[in-house]
Amino acid sequence: MKKSVIITIALIVLLALLGSSSYNSMVDKQEGVTKAWSNVENQYQRRSDLIPNLVNTVKGYATHEKSTLEGVVAARSKATQITIDPDKLTPEKLQAYQKAQGDVTTALGKLLAITENYPDLKANQNFLELQAQLEGTENRIAVERGRFNELAKEYNAFIRKLPRNIVAGMFGFEKKPYFEAEAGAEKAPKVEF
Amino acid sequence: MKLLKSTILLLLLSLCFQVNAQVKEYTLENVPNVRLQNKMRYVSNPGGILSQEACDSIDSMLWKLEQKTSIEVAVVVLPSIGNNDCFQFTHDLLNKWGVGKKGKDNGLMILLVEDQRHIQFETGYGLEGDLPDAICKRIQTRKMNPFFRNNNWDGGMVSGIQSICARLDGSMTNDEADKDEEGGNIMFLFFAAAGFVMLVGFIGGIASWRATRCPNCKKHMLQRTDSRLLSLRHGVKREEVVYTCRNCGHKVVRETESSDDNYRGGGRGGLGGGIFMGGLGGGLGSGGGGFSGGSFGGGMSGGGGAGSSF
Repeated sequence: MKKSVIITIALIVLLALLGSSSYNSMVDKQEGVTKAWSNVENQYQRRSDLIPNLVNTVKGYATHEKSTLEGVVAARSKATQITIDPDKLTPEKLQAYQKAQGDVTTALGKLLAITENYPDLKANQNFLELQAQLEGTENRIAVERGRFNELAKEYNAFIRKLPRNIVAGMFGFEKKPYFEAEAGAEKAPKVEF
Repeated sequence: MKLLKSTILLLLLSLCFQVNAQVKEYTLENVPNVRLQNKMRYVSNPGGILSQEACDSIDSMLWKLEQKTSIEVAVVVLPSIGNNDCFQFTHDLLNKWGVGKKGKDNGLMILLVEDQRHIQFETGYGLEGDLPDAICKRIQTRKMNPFFRNNNWDGGMVSGIQSICARLDGSMTNDEADKDEEGGNIMFLFFAAAGFVMLVGFIGGIASWRATRCPNCKKHMLQRTDSRLLSLRHGVKREEVVYTCRNCGHKVVRETESSDDNYRGGGRGGLGGGIFMGGLGGGLGSGGGGFSGGSFGGGMSGGGGAGSSF
């Protein structure tokens, strides 16, 4: 009689220990995803910060391209209005964020396409370096998005596996969404004359 | 029939020439990491695109830079990487080799791909401030591409490295010397020693268990019941020990030797300890001396840098 009580207690303690170690791992992984998310946001912010300088430089040379320049400024301000709390990342919120940033990408693409018609602008040292910085930032965005997706994938797989998903359900750990490839990203923006 | 044979022969021959004419496409796996053989070499030049003098000149500049600032630079010159994107390839290779000191992430990778006519720089997280994207682009467009456009690979690369070294000189200091090396070695030896001791203990335990096996009934029930001293000489005790099986009553007699605790003098106990200390001393010695080859520091990159086509 006494032995079975001891065994039961030991089993309960063991389960509690296993559960808490799962919980702690989940917390660690979730924090990793949060950090990766803020890295992504940082790089998008970096791009956003480059845009005013770019618009001013182009304005000096491409005086008749008002609509394109205004398009970039408008897309940028729309994108900066969308803020996301990383602990409440739902697929819809992520999609909205991604779309807003995608619009900035499209507007920037149009702007850079028209600069091809202004050889003086293209030779301008300031413009060349801004362009280099923009390219570098786009690369960094791609890298951080990739890292976020990787970490989100690890975290999702971790919380969904048995028997951890019981602990996950108990404490409210939810799946994180991914950055999807943008629809129409393969098509370069066309410049209409 | 003869026509068929000669046609086949011609086809085979043309195939051979095809293979020779094809440019080798490099992948992340088969780019040679020259640092592994020699820590003073920084240029991976498997296609021989750069001359040996250029490589030596670059190696010496980058060695000086690393000594002064601990910055690790890897130069990779390839005839082709197939259809792979230069940025992605450079990024993946830098992170794969871990260029840059761990924690500092002060690595720079320079990739020149001949068939794409493209030069790519990638900076580790820790170099982004000292070598921002715009400066990378500037160095490429002003100091390298004019040479590369004329297929002057040596001129362009040496000029670029000179600019980079001039730019990075004095940007940070090298405090890597004996930082982790000794500590790491001692930790390793400690764990190795502990592991060894545990292993010996474990094996000893297994041996004791097996010795309790009764040859008659095959159960592990033998117990020491009696002993008789045979001789005691030079600190070596020889006994005749009687073991009885608790299960079937079978008796086994064994002769054993053991060292006498009261005996003072050298001999067997000292031997094991001596070998151990010898190994420890050897390990510590090699840690201080340093290796001739080695891997990069384990640094990471987040996609900084710039690239340009010429």
